[in-house]
Amino acid sequence: MEARPRSAPAPSATRREHRAFFGSRPENIVRTVAILLALVWSLAPVYWMAATSLKTELEAASLSPTLWPHHATFANYLGLWGGSLPFASFFANTLFTCLATAVIAVLIATPAAYALSRARFRLRASIGYGMLIFRMLPLVVLLAPLYLLLLHARLLDSSAGLIVGFTTFGLPFAVWMLKSFIDAVPIEIEEAARIDGYPRWQILLRVVAPLILPGLTTTGTFVFMEAWNNLIYPLTFVTTLEKQTLPAALVLTFTGQFKTDWGGMMAAATVTTLPLMIAFFAVQRSMVRGLTSGAVAGA
Amino acid sequence: MMTRAAALPARKIARRDTGKLPWLDPMVTPSLGVLAIVVGYPIVYTLVLSVQDYNLLSAEQARFVGAGNYGRLLSDPIFWKALGNTAIYTFGSVAVSALLGLALALLTENLGGRRGRLTRALLLTPWAVPFVVVAFLFRYMYLQNGGAINALLLGAGVVSAPVSWLNVSTLAMPAVMVTNIWAMTPFFVLVLSAALAGIPNEVIESARVDRARTLSMIFHIKLPFLRNALLISSLLMIIGNFNDFAKIWAMTQGGPGYSTTTLVIYVYRQAFENFAFGYASAIGVVWLLLLLAFAIAYLRALRMD
Repeated sequence: MEARPRSAPAPSATRREHRAFFGSRPENIVRTVAILLALVWSLAPVYWMAATSLKTELEAASLSPTLWPHHATFANYLGLWGGSLPFASFFANTLFTCLATAVIAVLIATPAAYALSRARFRLRASIGYGMLIFRMLPLVVLLAPLYLLLLHARLLDSSAGLIVGFTTFGLPFAVWMLKSFIDAVPIEIEEAARIDGYPRWQILLRVVAPLILPGLTTTGTFVFMEAWNNLIYPLTFVTTLEKQTLPAALVLTFTGQFKTDWGGMMAAATVTTLPLMIAFFAVQRSMVRGLTSGAVAGA
Repeated sequence: MMTRAAALPARKIARRDTGKLPWLDPMVTPSLGVLAIVVGYPIVYTLVLSVQDYNLLSAEQARFVGAGNYGRLLSDPIFWKALGNTAIYTFGSVAVSALLGLALALLTENLGGRRGRLTRALLLTPWAVPFVVVAFLFRYMYLQNGGAINALLLGAGVVSAPVSWLNVSTLAMPAVMVTNIWAMTPFFVLVLSAALAGIPNEVIESARVDRARTLSMIFHIKLPFLRNALLISSLLMIIGNFNDFAKIWAMTQGGPGYSTTTLVIYVYRQAFENFAFGYASAIGVVWLLLLLAFAIAYLRALRMD
């Protein structure tokens, strides 16, 4: 049985005290070991990807895996650019379609989110719930009709077609997320501008938009990440290999070039991961509110 | 509320009083217009397709078959298998990830300073890895010959011979789920950490003054406060997993046999390998209804509190 802590200090005024990382009490040791295990579990696969991407083809396929590359080489990365696959265009296609989707979604969604947050009209609640439901839609259900729609609009196999596809989840997501950011802006801030007789879109542009700038970038980054993650649309709507995005290209070429070349595969995977990781850590802090739309606080 | 009403232009108040609010606001029309085309139209079209025998490859015109596709679905063993797989995959991985995420959020709660921030950020890393990359990475680690996981288990003496994780029908689903759990846990860590930080200090302090032990503090004080955050975040992840295509497709394509075929994989195969758009749409409609029913029940539970 544990004795009362020696020389117990009075409970500190704030509970966000800095607890020692390596404490001496048994509870703290257990805690530290658990955290270290969790770190290994989270990081080992990512390390494995990076390490393998630096190994030679032979070493990567070795029957007894090596913990670190014994003959570290950048050949796998150089092979991506110089190889038979148009890897640079995969990268450019993904970057372009995902960025375009993010910008378009945020531009269209901002006025809608503002109206849903501030204006009074009869369909307000229904449209709000509609956005939530749209966000939940299984993409695969939209797939066949969307394919036929793009076929008739002659947009299959094009960046525009992909952007249309990404918009199906990006736009409702952006509206919902931006609304929660605008809800957090006190309405009193807009009053001065309103009394001066500025039209609503000017208030949105000059007063509200600057205040929710972090919200705009977080939302945009989020749409970007979702699009970057998407596999089903490019796999279905794009038929020419040069026009593919990275995730789909990984799936399509794996059966060919990369069948045994795990080093090359992991180099491609690392390149696919980096932009997403940068985007993720850039917005990590402001992400939670938008994601859960105030539900964390118990709305 | 008073200030808000007072701030409204007189015209608006008059409108509300006579109950003549406009139906729509011009500012939502661009979003609504775009969504009507890219989401609304496809949904309506799915409903129409689902009562037709429409195959993109056959020369025949689409034919009205009424409830035919739905009847076929009821007696399709693969549909039921896929429905079961979807449930196992979704609820299994979400439950484990939520528990792991909760544990990690509680463990790292009081870590302060730079080291604490760094620890939390590193724990979130898996979420920044694209789904397809996650799939291939684990596929590589699951390899029977030369895979890291087999090497590790052989070294530790857990298995006596390398296991072909993704090619054995009883092991493929758990293996894919472990992958999914790895990728999803950080989401719960992120949301639950934020919710923990939102618990009012006074609540924690008064419990501490009462000398509440760590465990009873967690169960009686913290968990009730986390209820809504847990519900909302698992709802989001359940819906995300119902619709998860990338991870399963890039790892197993639904195999071996049908052991990892979920509804997404099945609909995709029906539509884009057999080009049976009618039948695929019928499955899609049923699934949509299930998802809606689930979401409504869930949101009800959330509001009950």
